[in-house]
Amino acid sequence: MASLTSSLLSASGALDAFTQALSVVQNNVANASTPDYAVQSQTFEPLEFNPSQGFPGGVEAGQVVSSRDEYAEQAVQQQTTLLGQAQQDVNSLTSIQSLFDISGNSGITAAFNNLFSAFSAWGQTPDSSVAQQNVIEQATAVASAFQQTAAGLQTAAQDTGQQLQSTVDQVNQFATQLAGYNQQIMNGDHTDAALDAQIHSTLDQLSNDGSISATQQSDGTWLVLLNGQTPLVMQNQAFALSVGSVAPSPAAANPNGPHHLGLLASDGTDITADTTSGQLGSLLNTANVVLPGYLGDGTQDGSLNALAESFASHVNTLLTDGYQSSGPPPVAGVPLFTLDADPTRVAQNLQVSSTITPDQLAAISPGPPEVSNGVALALSQLANPTSGGDEIGGLSYTQYYAGMASNVGTLLDTANANVQTQQTAVAQAQNVRQQVSGVSLDQEATLLLQFQQAYEASSKLINILDQLTEDTMNMLPTGS
Amino acid sequence: MDAAPGAQQLVIARSEVHRACDLLIASTPEALQDSQTALERAVAALQEFRRGAAAPASGATSLARALRAEVFRAGRLLESLASFYQGWNRILGAMSGGYTASGAPAAVSRQGRICCRG
Repeated sequence: MASLTSSLLSASGALDAFTQALSVVQNNVANASTPDYAVQSQTFEPLEFNPSQGFPGGVEAGQVVSSRDEYAEQAVQQQTTLLGQAQQDVNSLTSIQSLFDISGNSGITAAFNNLFSAFSAWGQTPDSSVAQQNVIEQATAVASAFQQTAAGLQTAAQDTGQQLQSTVDQVNQFATQLAGYNQQIMNGDHTDAALDAQIHSTLDQLSNDGSISATQQSDGTWLVLLNGQTPLVMQNQAFALSVGSVAPSPAAANPNGPHHLGLLASDGTDITADTTSGQLGSLLNTANVVLPGYLGDGTQDGSLNALAESFASHVNTLLTDGYQSSGPPPVAGVPLFTLDADPTRVAQNLQVSSTITPDQLAAISPGPPEVSNGVALALSQLANPTSGGDEIGGLSYTQYYAGMASNVGTLLDTANANVQTQQTAVAQAQNVRQQVSGVSLDQEATLLLQFQQAYEASSKLINILDQLTEDTMNMLPTGS
Repeated sequence: MDAAPGAQQLVIARSEVHRACDLLIASTPEALQDSQTALERAVAALQEFRRGAAAPASGATSLARALRAEVFRAGRLLESLASFYQGWNRILGAMSGGYTASGAPAAVSRQGRICCRG
């Protein structure tokens, strides 16, 4: 009889354990479509079997074990960060590239070409008031084109600042959500699989914005750091980031130059330099590196300002060195352009002198020998310079501008290629996560061994292909 | 993509590298083995093209450029996979063998492919 009772007790215990296992399976099925849900499994613990002592044996339900592999989760997050960065690069550079038209139909290139044509026509008929008037009109168009491009870049800078602010707001919102989840864990929900899925879904979204590291603490809560050191979430507390404006130092070359954008931790620490990846890293790079390359900052004038300054100053020098009339006494020429004294504002404020009249344009080169259209001809040669004095950085003004536009295009091409590559890298990391979730240590070691063998062979083949492709491109004529 | 007969080998090479990329994305051990075969075929196709490249077909440069982008992508995918497994290897080493005196994770011993945890 005792034996029968023991058997019934054992069967009853096993049924309870399997009921719990069934509940775990039902939970898995119910959450099959929940983003970032990790399958859970019920473990069983053997019970002592010693009928003579009243231990009927059987099993009881043990811990519920998640199949989630945090290392694989982290790998997905790292690749997502790089994807977020590449996508933001594409967005920012696309809007910047639209400001540089090198087709010659509009913008600075078209304005340069029209002005060079006007100089050339003036050189043919230096006393023609129509030709002189046309020079002034086309010079006004050049100044206007510089102003518009500078204004477009300033708008891009403002947009970048707004996007940075909204990305920071989003990061802070995610951090608040995670702090709330931590509070639920602190309240005792640390085994809730749906909560675990919500936490990981939020972490995945957050990783698009910046490089985060999330580690589970001994109390079950998550500690989330930005750039490996700036706390975003600790237990039930969220630490808000903020955006700041960083003015050039008073001792800088351009103390009144455009400001940089800064990212500040909750305690006010400047973490801009540490934030180099994700959407935040991309936006900071656009605001503090890419755009200042054109518009200047505390330490540089910016290539657009350098071009405007070099061109306008050179035109003014040629004109003021010439004569409006030979006299006697000869009447010296007057400058065509007025330039802002601040080297970071030359492009945005470039103007044709408000007081100049067509007949004040100096066409006569004093020589000796004096040439009646010498200045006009020298100005028309700026289109195809023959001396270093008519160039900027060894290039004609048009070529220099084309180089600026080409640089944006190259950066955009690279960013587009990075997006494509990163999209596949994220897919790869997600696949790996799927494969390694729930596997045992010895299975992992076996996978590693298989991978190591495949890696060595594949990496050699890719190196060979890389070299062969480069050699092939070098041996092919351009345009074939 | 239609290509001139002389550039056909470049198309094949690119297609094989593309296939290798797909396999690297799948990243199962079997897919990794298959990716080697695809890469070997790509190398063979490229070598074939180079032997007859004295008179390159039209469009060969753009095809070679596209191939190069694909090779770059395959390299990045293999690199990210390697980085993942290297990290995993370190974790496994630390879990199964602890740390060395210099603080580095112990090497993973694969003789018996058994790891103990307790």
